[in-house]
Amino acid sequence: MYGLEDEGLSPSAAAEIDDQDAWAVISAYFEEKGLVRQQLDSFNDFINTSLQEIVDENKLISITPQSQHVPGMQVEDDVEKIFEVEFGQIYLSKPVFIEADGETAVLFPKEARLRNLTYAAPLYVDIERRDKVVHSDGSEEVEVTPYPKVFLGDVPIMLRSDYCNLSGRSERDLCDLGECPYDQGGYFVINGSEKVLIAQERMANNHVYVFRKSQPSKYAYVAECRSVVEGSTRTVSTMQVKMLSRAGQKGAGQCIRASIPYVRADIPILIIFRALGFVADKDILEHIVYDFGDTTMMEALRPSIEEAFPIQSQEVALDYIGKRGSTIGATRNARIQYARELLQKELLPHVGMEEFCETKKAYFFGYVIHRLLLVALGRREEDDRDHYGNKRLDLGGPLLANLFRQLFRKLSKDVRGYVQKCVDKGKEINLTSAINKDTITRGLRYSLATGNWGVVGAGEVRPGVSQVLNRLTYASTLSHLRRINSPIGREGKIAKPRQLHNSQWGMICPAETPEGQACGLVKNLALMTYISVGCASNPVLDFLQEWATEDLEEISPSVIPKATKIFVNGVWVGIHRDPQTLVETLRAMRRQVDISTEVGVVHDIRLQELRLYTDYGRCCRPLFIVEDQAVKVKKRDIINLQNREETGFTWQSMIEAGYIEYVDVEEEETTMIAMFINDLRLARIAEDAATASSIALYTHCEIHPAMILGVCASIVPFPDHNQSPRNTYQSAMGKQAMGMYVTNYQVRMDTQGYVLFYPQKPLVTTRNMEYLHFRELPAGINTIVAIACYSGYNQEDSTMMNQSSIDRGIFRSIFFRSYKTEEKKQGSLVQESIERPNREITAGTRHGTYDKLDDDGIAPPGTRVSGDDIVIGKTSPIPDDGSGLPQRYSKKDASTALRHSESGMIDSVLVTTGADGQRFVKMRVRSVRIPQVGDKFASRHGQKGTIGITYTQEDMPFSAEGISPDLIINPHAIPSRMTIGHLVEALMSKVAACMGKEGDATPFTSVTVDNISAALHRCGYQSRGWEVMYNGHTGRQLQAQIFLNPTYYQRLKHMVDDKIHSRGRGPVQILTRQPVEGRARDGGLRFGEMERDCIISHGAAAFLKERLYDQSDAYRVHVCSVCGLIAVANLKKNQFYCTACKNTTGIVQVFIPYACKLLFQELMAMCIAPRMIVD
Amino acid sequence: MATKTTKREPQVELRKLTDDYCEFVLKGTDVSMANALRRIILVEVPTIAIELVEFEANTTVLNDEFLAHRLGLIPLVSTRVHDMKSIYEAQVGAWVARRRRHYIHPVGYHDREDKGILLVKMRRNQELKLRAVARKGTGKDHAKWMPVATCVYQFMPEITINHALMDTLTDDQKEEWCAADPRKTFRLNKLTHRVEVTNPELYQYDGEVLAKAEEMGKPGLVAIKQKQDTFIFRVEGTGVLPPQDIVLTACEVLASKIRNLDAALAEEARRFDGREEPAPMQA
Repeated sequence: MYGLEDEGLSPSAAAEIDDQDAWAVISAYFEEKGLVRQQLDSFNDFINTSLQEIVDENKLISITPQSQHVPGMQVEDDVEKIFEVEFGQIYLSKPVFIEADGETAVLFPKEARLRNLTYAAPLYVDIERRDKVVHSDGSEEVEVTPYPKVFLGDVPIMLRSDYCNLSGRSERDLCDLGECPYDQGGYFVINGSEKVLIAQERMANNHVYVFRKSQPSKYAYVAECRSVVEGSTRTVSTMQVKMLSRAGQKGAGQCIRASIPYVRADIPILIIFRALGFVADKDILEHIVYDFGDTTMMEALRPSIEEAFPIQSQEVALDYIGKRGSTIGATRNARIQYARELLQKELLPHVGMEEFCETKKAYFFGYVIHRLLLVALGRREEDDRDHYGNKRLDLGGPLLANLFRQLFRKLSKDVRGYVQKCVDKGKEINLTSAINKDTITRGLRYSLATGNWGVVGAGEVRPGVSQVLNRLTYASTLSHLRRINSPIGREGKIAKPRQLHNSQWGMICPAETPEGQACGLVKNLALMTYISVGCASNPVLDFLQEWATEDLEEISPSVIPKATKIFVNGVWVGIHRDPQTLVETLRAMRRQVDISTEVGVVHDIRLQELRLYTDYGRCCRPLFIVEDQAVKVKKRDIINLQNREETGFTWQSMIEAGYIEYVDVEEEETTMIAMFINDLRLARIAEDAATASSIALYTHCEIHPAMILGVCASIVPFPDHNQSPRNTYQSAMGKQAMGMYVTNYQVRMDTQGYVLFYPQKPLVTTRNMEYLHFRELPAGINTIVAIACYSGYNQEDSTMMNQSSIDRGIFRSIFFRSYKTEEKKQGSLVQESIERPNREITAGTRHGTYDKLDDDGIAPPGTRVSGDDIVIGKTSPIPDDGSGLPQRYSKKDASTALRHSESGMIDSVLVTTGADGQRFVKMRVRSVRIPQVGDKFASRHGQKGTIGITYTQEDMPFSAEGISPDLIINPHAIPSRMTIGHLVEALMSKVAACMGKEGDATPFTSVTVDNISAALHRCGYQSRGWEVMYNGHTGRQLQAQIFLNPTYYQRLKHMVDDKIHSRGRGPVQILTRQPVEGRARDGGLRFGEMERDCIISHGAAAFLKERLYDQSDAYRVHVCSVCGLIAVANLKKNQFYCTACKNTTGIVQVFIPYACKLLFQELMAMCIAPRMIVD
Repeated sequence: MATKTTKREPQVELRKLTDDYCEFVLKGTDVSMANALRRIILVEVPTIAIELVEFEANTTVLNDEFLAHRLGLIPLVSTRVHDMKSIYEAQVGAWVARRRRHYIHPVGYHDREDKGILLVKMRRNQELKLRAVARKGTGKDHAKWMPVATCVYQFMPEITINHALMDTLTDDQKEEWCAADPRKTFRLNKLTHRVEVTNPELYQYDGEVLAKAEEMGKPGLVAIKQKQDTFIFRVEGTGVLPPQDIVLTACEVLASKIRNLDAALAEEARRFDGREEPAPMQA
């Protein structure tokens, strides 16, 4: 019928690809990129470019001696001495570690983790010192001393980045190095603990935002621009243009004023124009209202023109601004000069900070007002603060770059101070000692270790940027490496920033976010999201120049309405009269990788703007490029891609061939994206049928819609059949599931680790799981699940589990906990030592047994240990008290005891030396956790439950085939939660089990329940998964048929043995004498207000008094009957004395609660006298 | 006080017997008896399994607890269990003397040629030395002592096709109706154009054909009844004990339970006659 159709029938090389082929593309993507590419790219960029740039930024230190007069020293008057220190090339080595004895060795992450070291590489810099002598006649003498490769500090290295010792290693090598080949890197090892840098979300700079102010407010509309110069550290300089609300001032009308940095008052906009050198009203208006025919807009400016009428020259305008600046008591000329500099340096610095960029600034300033007026006149909607195109993500690279910049500044400041001091005192300058090696090493390590981002004492410090990598399950690790945080106050109840925004499609997982305070503020990247690392804007600017972009300096404002404004990273660089061709060429260039693939090209036709972006932190995602309603990738490319081993045709080749491009959020708005490849075919048919009006002209096609999900949501089978919050719940629960978190868990010493005995890959999988290695490192077991009530021991989300299955090993797991001790040194004398403490000479020994320790003071592997047993013995010597008397104890106990509620077997012991060469011991204890009543389990659909009872096989219901369930869940768990996916998964699992194949539960595919049912029927089972079952107790057939199918279940880390707690008597707090809190401290269980109310309303107040006071909190005090204050009592000598009234008689004894006594004493400390009047 | 009782004469008809599988029809009894037998087979027939493992050295990837659990689950040929009076009964002397008959070994493992069950894969220089003690036990204590993989029964179906009504259907409809049963209990005979039952025992009481008939507007196409006193018993052994041995032991266990009950009743009756107060129940 149609040419293309015919080709489709016979799969020729040029044939259209189908949905299945898209997966070949996706596989190629993940093979090349992995799952933590954003982290690695960002860090590599930091090391490769930012580091040197930062050093270059402030590389020159120039010092002129300000010599003090020293008696007897000859001063050369006619010569001027200048000392210059210049930082040059930097060098970064691979991570190494220098032992305490000075031996240097290449450091691998495994060793860093085990020995609590920092995985960091030394950074060196070339320094040049120039001693200049300038003679009075202007002649110069320069003495140059090079200091090559001076050590600057240690830079922590991200695992698997270019500078990591693991990069480029084969899987085999990685295993030999004790690494898990599935580990993706992307984190740091700081003092032995793995740290992730969480991407920080922020508003994009240099954008113009117009907002309507909620009334009542002084202003009706506000346009703002947070201006930051590209690649600089200067703080954001915010400029706001505000339109006053009509009601506000009388007579003023709707004036427009601007607030600029360092100026106290708002300045009428026309004054700013005049200060910039545009005096005539016409000149000014041309910069704002491009089209003079637009009378409404002209009219809207009338109040502003009138307001600025008194100021009619540049000088006066500058003075007006200068007066409102921070200059007090300066002369007029000084004020004018100040204002001039202010406008040059502080007003919209991103447009330009040099001299003579007034024209550009005026144009941009006018543009801001223009945008404001568009909204004010109702021609445009106000800007959306939550649009994801307006957001930027700061990843590890930029975060480290900012930190390093601050630290390097501090370092060079210190160097300057040191050199200045040397020069002033006329001492010899020793540059190597001038550089404090700890500034950078400690600074970086501190921030990474604590998460407090920023140099203490310099600017704001953000907490929680660096976090300990979650190692509970492989998926939780991956998810943690792809997390995004928005630093907005968690307390705020504003809903908007928390809601899922349309523009987040494909960039951010719609399901995976925590519940509660951080809901919607903590997000996770979708699987194929790419975060731009930033590229130079010069190539783009050069290109624009070449392609007939007219510079703002050279045009007359009257042409603006007919042309398209061109912005590069928010800076208005010029106009172009044929934007369509320009955009097409730009896109073509980008697709050929002539300009960087991550350049964003946004053609806003309505606003007549072309916005180009090259900055870092934009979210992008790859899409198929569509031309003539067909995807450009053809079958042959897919075949080449599938055989990439031989053909060498990779993902990168696809990009270079122009089949796929990265599209950022803002550009996405200007595209037309087909959801499926089939939609393109339908569009072609519609086109041929010439119903031209209804044709969608596609520009791109989704690679696969399942890619909108993130790591944890990708584990959910059939998420498109579930109520959406259930997917969110599962995304949170998947992180608590036990499985195999890394393959090298045996050689790691994690503080906690859970490993399932017999993990299984799920019968029903999603295709995304392939990339998450869920098959290789699974976290769950395919259980036979019956949905039935049976005996009722599965009400309210409890479940019944087959005890015989438990005996056979279902959901059995091992729990590892590691303990750590080191021989700390306190001062030069006190040195702890790991040994078996001798009770005779050791003070403060615990009541736990020391018998399990070996001669070296460490319990050997294979020892069975239980609560409070001492596992590592350690003592610290008590220094002589100087009294000369023989002391009973010469040592103090500092041993490590097993947690009091745990027990297990010593699994392994590591004895080594730490970072400072001290003896260092890590010990891992293992215990087997067998499922028992109270343990928690969950399916992959947010259906969690605890075991309510375990039944042996003979008590379980059985089918005629002899199948008895491993788990029985209650049918009431289903209807209100609407987790249809759970049921579909179960059904498909049965088919998969019968056919011996994996079921495909990828969302947004054409699988239907009817298909699955039909397949099940063919396998000889009831099509809806029901089975006739018999009661195990009575042997009778159950009246209803039971939904009995395999379902993938996860064991969650919450287990009763870790939670069970009760206490009779136990430790109390010293201050209040009330029971301590928490299970770990053997704390009490609070008898709170509500419990108290119960007893009172029960009429048992006497019981309450007896329990809460007489038996637990009674305290005896002696009160002076004269003043009512607490008196001093010495019962042994029978002496009583009131310090207040010097009274020794008439002291009475009273019983009060200890808490009351404490309150009285605290009041007394506050100069309040609580008097107890006793009669 | 004479009540009407149906006189029961339980009968057994053995259908199939192999080394690890046994199928028989139990007739003339009711569900309680069949279920009692099933439950006893599952958890009260004693077998032998490893219970105690002492590790001397273990540097394999699996830790001691893991291996011990796996060892416990190895099915051991337990024919000797009947001679055992107590749970531990393996005096070396007696053992060696009767080794030929009563050598305890894993199922399917006779000599070093046999592969056996994979417990753990070991790498060069890994070490494993252990001593394992097996004992007699029942499935009540732990599933490792279960003598069977499963033991299950099924009621014998009685299927009567209403041929008169069936003949009102076309061949295609008949075919469709037959296909409704996932187990393919029914079949359309192409020659006679009649629907026949291939094997009534295939039927699982899932009601699919009845629903189909209803849907086709012909309720009553077929009548299916359960014979409440006939059970098809299937015992799938693990090889630990021969299936006939399992069933017979189970009967013996059941019988001894009844004997115990009988004795206790007799005792109680005697006590009651003697006008003695019934002894308080012991916890």
